Amino acid sequence: MDKDQIIQMIRKNKPSLQPLPERLTKPEDNTDLKTIFCNNLKLVGAEVIRIDNEALVSSFISSHFPGAVDFSQPENWIGYQSANSKDKSEKLNTIILKGQFGVAENGAIWLDETNFPHRIIPFIAQNLVIKLSGENLVAGMDEAYHKIDITKTGFGVFISGPSKTADIEQVLVFGAHGPLKHTVLLID
Amino acid sequence: MKTDINTKVGLFIPCYIDQFYPQVGVATLELLMKLGLDVGYPLKQTCCGQPLANAGSENDAKAIYLNFVDNFNEFDYVVSPSGSCVYHVREHYNILEQTEKVIKIRQNTFELCEFIFDILQIEDLRINFPFKVGIHQSCHGLRGLKLGVSSELVAPHFSKVHRLLEKAEGIELINLDREDECCGFGGTFSIFEPDVSVKMGIERIRDHKRNGAEVITATDMSCLMHLEGIARRNNEKVQFKHIAEILNQCRL
Amino acid sequence: MMTHAEKAGIFLADVERADWHDQTLWVIRKKRDKAVGCVPEWEALRENASKIKEHVLSNLDTYLLQFEAEAVKNGVQVHWAVDAESFNRKIYSIINSYNAQKVVKSKSMLTEECGMNPFLEAKGIEVVDTDLGERIIQFRKEPPSHIVMPAIHLKREEIGELFHLKLGTEKGISDPQYLTAAAREHLRKKFLSAEVAITGVNFAVAETGTVVVCTNEGNADMGVQSAPVQIHCMGIEKILPRIEDLGIFIRLLARNATGQPISSYTSHYQKPKPGGEMHIIIVDNKRSEHLGNGAYLNSLKCIRCGACMNTCPVYRRSGGHSYNYVIPGPIGSILSPIYGVNKYKDLPFASSLCGSCANVCPVKIDIHRQLYSWRQEISEKKLLSASKRYGLKLAGKILANSRYYNFFGKKMRWALNHLPRKVLYHQINVWGIGREFPVAPAKSFNQWYRENHKKS
Repeated sequence: MDKDQIIQMIRKNKPSLQPLPERLTKPEDNTDLKTIFCNNLKLVGAEVIRIDNEALVSSFISSHFPGAVDFSQPENWIGYQSANSKDKSEKLNTIILKGQFGVAENGAIWLDETNFPHRIIPFIAQNLVIKLSGENLVAGMDEAYHKIDITKTGFGVFISGPSKTADIEQVLVFGAHGPLKHTVLLID
Repeated sequence: MKTDINTKVGLFIPCYIDQFYPQVGVATLELLMKLGLDVGYPLKQTCCGQPLANAGSENDAKAIYLNFVDNFNEFDYVVSPSGSCVYHVREHYNILEQTEKVIKIRQNTFELCEFIFDILQIEDLRINFPFKVGIHQSCHGLRGLKLGVSSELVAPHFSKVHRLLEKAEGIELINLDREDECCGFGGTFSIFEPDVSVKMGIERIRDHKRNGAEVITATDMSCLMHLEGIARRNNEKVQFKHIAEILNQCRL
Repeated sequence: MMTHAEKAGIFLADVERADWHDQTLWVIRKKRDKAVGCVPEWEALRENASKIKEHVLSNLDTYLLQFEAEAVKNGVQVHWAVDAESFNRKIYSIINSYNAQKVVKSKSMLTEECGMNPFLEAKGIEVVDTDLGERIIQFRKEPPSHIVMPAIHLKREEIGELFHLKLGTEKGISDPQYLTAAAREHLRKKFLSAEVAITGVNFAVAETGTVVVCTNEGNADMGVQSAPVQIHCMGIEKILPRIEDLGIFIRLLARNATGQPISSYTSHYQKPKPGGEMHIIIVDNKRSEHLGNGAYLNSLKCIRCGACMNTCPVYRRSGGHSYNYVIPGPIGSILSPIYGVNKYKDLPFASSLCGSCANVCPVKIDIHRQLYSWRQEISEKKLLSASKRYGLKLAGKILANSRYYNFFGKKMRWALNHLPRKVLYHQINVWGIGREFPVAPAKSFNQWYRENHKKS
């Protein structure tokens, strides 16, 4: 059996046990995470709009993204959840999702299965808008991974900016296969 | 200064300097003597063995290594105007039986600049050299012996060679587009991969010239031999001087 | 098969293209420098990542078994393949069990290594590479020339021409935006009709059974979330012990590879989607054998970032196709001999041993030392040409003895100064192809010293 063969070979050949290193401790960083996060969002090609408070969000969305499907409202999930909903989701233009938290050092936002009706949703839409509370920011990926419990979900993703490629002569083009545009509504 | 009147320094002259650029050996010897050192030059020395080892024939080079150890084991320090030879002794003489003699040699063999900077702890040699100088940071010296901090690393910029030259009177140290790209010599690489080797060399020369270098210097004459050969073939007007020749312009 | 040196010569003959290739990759190296320079603790991250990987390799069996157990608990089907042949058979068997014929694939060097595409295609399965660069080279029927940027060797005009033929884009249009949009439309149809999605694995977390895939394009997810069946293919060395270790590796990967702080999508596949099936294939293909080779086992730490290629002055000036191996550049030159030391014996010599690669490697693989070690092994196995072997042996004898050395040195200098140019620069003299010999002095340093300085 392949598995047994492989395990046996590894056991025969592996070097003597090396210890895991100590966790790297980062110096305390009291810098304004929101500013760093916004700067990195722009760096990765996202648009960031700061909204003063939660109450203003829905009216902002209605006026700036008319026709968007707001999946941060679970009642809008109907029709998009099954494996056969591809035809419907394929036509999605602008969608709104709610992000769980953001990572200042790279403009990434964590979402998992609780944030969309089907796993293809964040990728198949033409334009992605993510609502995120400005209080839900961590400085870096180390903190980010300590915050996540991946076992509680079937799929989770860090999204940082729109889909992109530079495969043709290193010219940056947005919207390779995923969304062409990525907007973050950062709620203060 | 980590030396005293009884310190004996052995001068190792790499084979290609011995054969083609004896003036670099002369400059090194003169400089070390000006610095007040008791310098010996064992007459039966030949080579460090690197050309063979890099070509894969480490075992055939052992006899060369042993000749080196035989010639130099009586000295407190071995100093050489060559980063790559010194790197080879410190790194690759590990295949010899590690006797006391071998260990002592491996620990006390130094390239010229690091010897002056770290052991003699001198930075200002009071050099007069009114030229625009491009420093070619030879790879084995830079990354192997850590004569400086190479550009890949996230660390404050630092270079022992730079520090030894920057105070020279009249000197202008130029900035390169690619500060520490390899010249393409690489020992037998220069003849196993001649097209890439020459292409790398000509790009280095053009970088220096584009940025105004009148003189190109390095810790390794092998790099300069390769670059000079290319420059002459392509009628590129630029001078090549080993670092020892510039440092020897000191007024000590 | 032409050697690396021969192919490099051809590559360099097109001077303009070679310069463009070199400069393009150098720019990526500088982007990397800028990005990593924003992380003051970068060198500590590298050290940490290196130690984590060393630990993993020394405990690999335990972690692989833990990974499998966790994945199985999550409803994932886990398979093992001892070599490329076994992998191809198994992945075909999985695809066939669903009666599937339409497969989309995101980037996986492992599947290239195993020759999966031609194997499946021969069985009537359509395999569409969905990474834009991979799709381009798939259309051209050629291998990737870089592990992260597969089409880096191509100019936009060539891609424009290719897309005109294959996708019906307008002739003569080579705007990258236009061409990418055409690829988007074409591949979208493939994603939505795919029956199976295959991906590689950037990291496999033992603690939780999680598969992590990083893309900028979103093509892995467009395939995986669309097709009912997802298959993730990993080499045994892709294991990380814990989720928290991703906090180190995700910070290193994109910055080092392309100069971005993170890739657009970092996807964590934990469980099959509702109504879907998820498979993982764990592949050995000589990795476990290599684990026992002390001089080389560090190459198994590789996270396939490609930074060593971007910094390598030889790779930049010879192009990935000069290496004749699925993974080119410095890391390819130390991995390929595992798969045939005679077949790839020229690759460890395709380097000036400058050491830049080792300095950019995020997991501190001592690539330059391994290149040196492979050279010794190739020489010991008597795989160097006879002329090289005897030439080196002779040089060894001369250089070990000061009398022979001084004698031959004198003769050589005389020859350099007296032989006619036609003889000296005859085409067998490789040095003279692009360079002049140094002017030989009348006396060596040794002679000068004896005459002027020797204490009597």
